[in-house]
Amino acid sequence: MMLIPELWNWDSLVWLAIGIILLVYFVTFKGMPPLRRFALGLGVAFMAVAFVSPIGYLANGYVFSAHMIQHLLMLLIVPLCLILALPKQRVASWFSDTPKPQLAKALVMIGWIGGVGAMWFWHVPNLCSVSTQNASIGLLRDSSFMLAGLVFWWPIFGPLESTRLSPPSGIVYLFSACLGCTLLGIYITFTNSIVCPVFAQSVDSLGIMASLQAAGFTPMVDQNLGGLLMWVPPCTLYVGAIISLLCRWYKVLDPETIKGPVASDHEPAHLV
Amino acid sequence: MLQPDSLGADSRRNLFSWICSVDHKRIGIMYMLLAVFFLLVGGVEALLIRAQLAVPKNDLVSPQMFNQLFTLHGTTMVFLVGMPVFTGFSNFIVPLMIGAKDVAFPRLNAMSFWMLPFGATLLYFSFFTGSAPDAGWFSYAPLSTKPFSSLPGVDYWIIGLAVMGIGSISGAINIVATVMCCRAPGMSLQRVPLFVWIMFMQAILIVITIPPLNSAISMLLIDRMLGAAFFEPARGGSALLWQHFFWMFGHPEVYVFALPAFAIVSEVIPVFSRKPIYGYAFVAGSSTIIVLLSYTVWAHHMFAVGLGMGPNIFFAAATLLIALPTGVKIFNWTATLWGGSIRFTTAMLFAIAFLIQFVVGGLTGIMFATVPVDWQLTDTYFVVAHFHYVLVGGIVFSLFAATFYWFPKISGRMLNEKLGKLQFWLWLIGFNATFGIQHLLGLMGMPRRVYTYDDNPGWALCNGISSAGAVFMAAGTLVLVWNILKSMKSGAVAGNNPWEGFTLEWATTSPPPLENFKELPEIKSRRPVWDADHPDLADWKSEKTPEDRGHRPAGAKVAAWSFVISEAIFFILLLVSYVVFNSGDEIEGPTSETALDVSRTGFFTLILLSSSLTFWIAERCLRRDKIGGFKLWLGLTILLGCVFIGGQVWEYSGLISNGITVNRNLFASTFFTVTGFHGLHVTGGIIVLGIMYMLGRLGYLTSKRTHVFAAVGVYWHFVDVVWIAVFSIIYLDVFK
Repeated sequence: MMLIPELWNWDSLVWLAIGIILLVYFVTFKGMPPLRRFALGLGVAFMAVAFVSPIGYLANGYVFSAHMIQHLLMLLIVPLCLILALPKQRVASWFSDTPKPQLAKALVMIGWIGGVGAMWFWHVPNLCSVSTQNASIGLLRDSSFMLAGLVFWWPIFGPLESTRLSPPSGIVYLFSACLGCTLLGIYITFTNSIVCPVFAQSVDSLGIMASLQAAGFTPMVDQNLGGLLMWVPPCTLYVGAIISLLCRWYKVLDPETIKGPVASDHEPAHLV
Repeated sequence: MLQPDSLGADSRRNLFSWICSVDHKRIGIMYMLLAVFFLLVGGVEALLIRAQLAVPKNDLVSPQMFNQLFTLHGTTMVFLVGMPVFTGFSNFIVPLMIGAKDVAFPRLNAMSFWMLPFGATLLYFSFFTGSAPDAGWFSYAPLSTKPFSSLPGVDYWIIGLAVMGIGSISGAINIVATVMCCRAPGMSLQRVPLFVWIMFMQAILIVITIPPLNSAISMLLIDRMLGAAFFEPARGGSALLWQHFFWMFGHPEVYVFALPAFAIVSEVIPVFSRKPIYGYAFVAGSSTIIVLLSYTVWAHHMFAVGLGMGPNIFFAAATLLIALPTGVKIFNWTATLWGGSIRFTTAMLFAIAFLIQFVVGGLTGIMFATVPVDWQLTDTYFVVAHFHYVLVGGIVFSLFAATFYWFPKISGRMLNEKLGKLQFWLWLIGFNATFGIQHLLGLMGMPRRVYTYDDNPGWALCNGISSAGAVFMAAGTLVLVWNILKSMKSGAVAGNNPWEGFTLEWATTSPPPLENFKELPEIKSRRPVWDADHPDLADWKSEKTPEDRGHRPAGAKVAAWSFVISEAIFFILLLVSYVVFNSGDEIEGPTSETALDVSRTGFFTLILLSSSLTFWIAERCLRRDKIGGFKLWLGLTILLGCVFIGGQVWEYSGLISNGITVNRNLFASTFFTVTGFHGLHVTGGIIVLGIMYMLGRLGYLTSKRTHVFAAVGVYWHFVDVVWIAVFSIIYLDVFK
């Protein structure tokens, strides 16, 4: 299927976004260590995968599970990579004062509600269909995912130490977020009603739906798979993030490193 | 007899002083004694099961009796042995290990304990009704529903479990608060003994894992008592939903047992290898990961029900994943043994046997994670063998290790090592004979939960061996009981630290005084007693651990948040059941659109929400010591709460007069269940607010005690948040 040329959106608008991101990054941050540049590269590569590869084509009103993979990439993977690409010291130097604790608290609330809420909001049946059919609403949805993802990961891996959650609170933050997407995932997996109607009667422009359905890949199976994708991979990713938080927690920090921003940009091992 | 001690030489014989005790050590001992008693009861049930199955076509007990025996054996061992015995050890040991005087809430602790005999009495009282529960420890629907179990056995099972569940959750909240709030200075959370950390994780797991069971049994009780049909497929209900809810509790429950076993072994192996644990952070961290993952794998108990290929594959993968954090620990323990100066005490023997047998149980678990293997072997004796290797070969063996390890601290006397080793070998042989052979029986296709079997080739011999093994285990248990009685009377005096242990419980007398410690050694590492005994080789000189920053949250706040999280899960599952039954095809009879008056309830919703605002203002007044304003705003909060309840009564009476009652259809059942439980929570909240009002009037609540009032606030705001969810889902139909 990957070989079918019609499935590749080479003229996708995402190239423009990728170009802007790369331009801004390399103009703002010069001489970054390879690991940070790698994180950036990975981020934009996943953006391309989400829109240019067959996932992008199939997500556009064809297959619900592909649509879900696209969401996950835009909400969780791409923002995570982009945040990891930010150098701690440089970003910290932009802020002369440490942000107030209230601001850090508010960021956490916005991050959690944004990260979990975006998934819920865009899967209200009507919104789900409209955003798939209407390109500009689709654009709004994808950028909102990206933005929500950035604020979601900020308290965990953000470059500013003062706006990061302490590891135990971070674990609670991620675990509750996992429960949040689990609930929606369970609903989409096990419900008998159609969550996103546009995928139930998809316009079969390639003429492959009949053979897919004959192989047992009915819209209902597709939806089940979408629900499972929303449920299990994010939780697995969060568990991975929790492991990194645990490592941070059990690491002995010298008093000096706790106070000041960690000078890690020259230390590839300290990416997170 | 016990040495004179905190337990009080004069009061020791006084039963009443034990009943009234709020001392964590006495309550811990009572938990353990209760568990031992039910271990004997559950053990006798097991012996009867094995006696019945010893030969083919046996008729020692009736089929009905056999069903009752395995149901009560399972329920007893899970709820009346496993949970209490670990709570007992946790109660006794955790405060000592963190250098605390007692648990955070001693009275709550006593209440948690006394719920247990109360629940147990209810469960076993069912025998006198002539119908003990007989639907298996998981009471699968529709077998457990009224048409198929018309006698009251299942009702006793439900109410017994609900009562014990309340005790378990409040006990667990207490441990969470104790670990977070009562640690001695210097003991950062990264420095607590592994037993404390893992029991902390287990307590968190109990807080989040009992609520699904409570939701399920509440719904089953409403089915049985009020004629609803949540779990009756014949009337539109879903038997599958019961399985989901039950295993959402049931699988994490396995880790509620496994985590304490890990905790015990993580203390016993290092001490008897005379080495610190290898990879502290890995053992602690992987236990945390287990808590998170254990919540994501429940459906592997349901591979055979036909969930579909997608769910099966995902749950199989998640199940394989959870083997990793468990496997990591096996390597940690083995590496701790490696190069250690090992002392083969009875405790250590049990710990090593645990290691091997638990791996066997774990490996068969991984086999079951593979869907086709599960399809072939589910509901055979292979399953029985698998989970007994985990629960008995793993967990009971670790319990024996704990008994031999901490008995000197609890009683002041050593257990007899010779008798201990005799018990060890009896159990090792008996356990492996009983359950090892059941792997074969399972592979040969012998089904579980069937009261007898045909004389198929090999079955009689295997079952004979299995039953004979049970006799060894029974004999071993009697040796332990004899050992305990004998050692209490004439065992060697233990002294403070007979095993040269590392952690703080060994820094005080055996048994410890009422206030636990006369003085504490300095805590600068994970092994403060080792540091004190070996100043030259002190851990903190060679290995740095994160310093204690002295932050201890208020106990009331921690308890309130833990309680609210637990209740949130309970409501989420009730709401899930609402969505399941009301989002699909059209249902006959009333629905939320036809039966409910959204604008009227919207008005009462605003009333309830504004009560959160008035509460907040009352809290501000209290903080500034403006008692007059405090009483005014709190009084208004109570009034608003009462108005909301009045609105609910108005709504209910309207519905009932229109013939819409809980047994009308699934909309009505779910509606009344969700809103009814919410109403009960509001009513409970109003009562607590009333108590606060009275305390304010009498002058007990001042600005210094704002944290207590704030804790009540956490609950009151929570009740409002739940209502927002209820209103959006039921009245506004956001899922349609």
